[in-house]
Amino acid sequence: MNEPVDVLVSVTMLRPEERLLLDALRGRGLTAATGLARDVGAVLNGTAPAPATILVRTLSHRDAAQVARRAEAAGIPALNTAAALDVCNDKGLQALLFGSHDVPHPRSFHAYADDEIAAFGDRLGWPIVVKPLSASWGRGVVRLGSRDTLDAWSGGRESTDAAGKAFPVLVQEYIEKPDHDLRVIVIGTQPVVAIQRHSTDWRTNTHLGASVSRTDITEDIILLCKRVTDLIGPGFYGVDLIEDIRDKQLRVLEVNANPEFARSSREHGVDIAGLLADLIVERIGGIPAGV
Amino acid sequence: MTIAISTGCLVCDSALDAADAPEKGEIIECGSCGQEHEVTGVAAGLVTVELAPEVEEDWGE
Repeated sequence: MNEPVDVLVSVTMLRPEERLLLDALRGRGLTAATGLARDVGAVLNGTAPAPATILVRTLSHRDAAQVARRAEAAGIPALNTAAALDVCNDKGLQALLFGSHDVPHPRSFHAYADDEIAAFGDRLGWPIVVKPLSASWGRGVVRLGSRDTLDAWSGGRESTDAAGKAFPVLVQEYIEKPDHDLRVIVIGTQPVVAIQRHSTDWRTNTHLGASVSRTDITEDIILLCKRVTDLIGPGFYGVDLIEDIRDKQLRVLEVNANPEFARSSREHGVDIAGLLADLIVERIGGIPAGV
Repeated sequence: MTIAISTGCLVCDSALDAADAPEKGEIIECGSCGQEHEVTGVAAGLVTVELAPEVEEDWGE
């Protein structure tokens, strides 16, 4: 990358989402390029010109946070910010943050050993949900129905993790929901589309085959998304909400800082890439000179 | 401009095909053995590739 660009899109690999983003940014008169780790390094080292902003779409949570943190230290604004990425990439931090600010969220605990999971299960009532603190696409997320199923989970974990490196894990109350949860895409501070994710599986990740359908952005959704962006700042987020069928109230399940949208956009028709490009144009001061 | 790739497949050495306007980070799959390659550079009509990264445990949304 020898020519200066307005937007460097930090990637691990180019997915359909980043292709759409590049097209949207260029369509608005910005110059944009994808950058792998070494390209970001070249910017940080001053051997490549600094972009006006870095759009962090790196797949690795650890690497994404590194990119944002170092870009910001070098004076280059990152979207999402390093602070937001730190929170979004750690379900435990989210639980603590939501808990300390009264954002509706499933009751959650950090467990540092199997016996603590058992104790929290007794306290919350079985079934419980156990999650790695940093994982995505539903990976490693399990529903445990009893101490017996916890024993099975523990046996499997011990066979590959004798030292207990998997701990701490997040132990969460299991919320009985309708046949769907909600994914809300937030750009800046605005929820721009809400979709229901339907699945016969209790996990509703589209990576696991959930189907999607567009639904209305209600006042409750707007309010919860505002509560989230008030805490972690404006950005580009996938906010997951879950309705508890007992009280019909929505809770914030988690916030994702690198939401995928190419597949679901074909269903709901909202131009997520275009709206995000509009935000970036606004942030870097309008359409660049000469366009 | 004709796009050329600097190497054949890094596993089976079959010829790789690039898109008309490849972007850095784009994945090119070998038509013979299926190995995925990642575009690591595009300059002066020449595309450089490396083996595509494998999924890691902290990849995700």
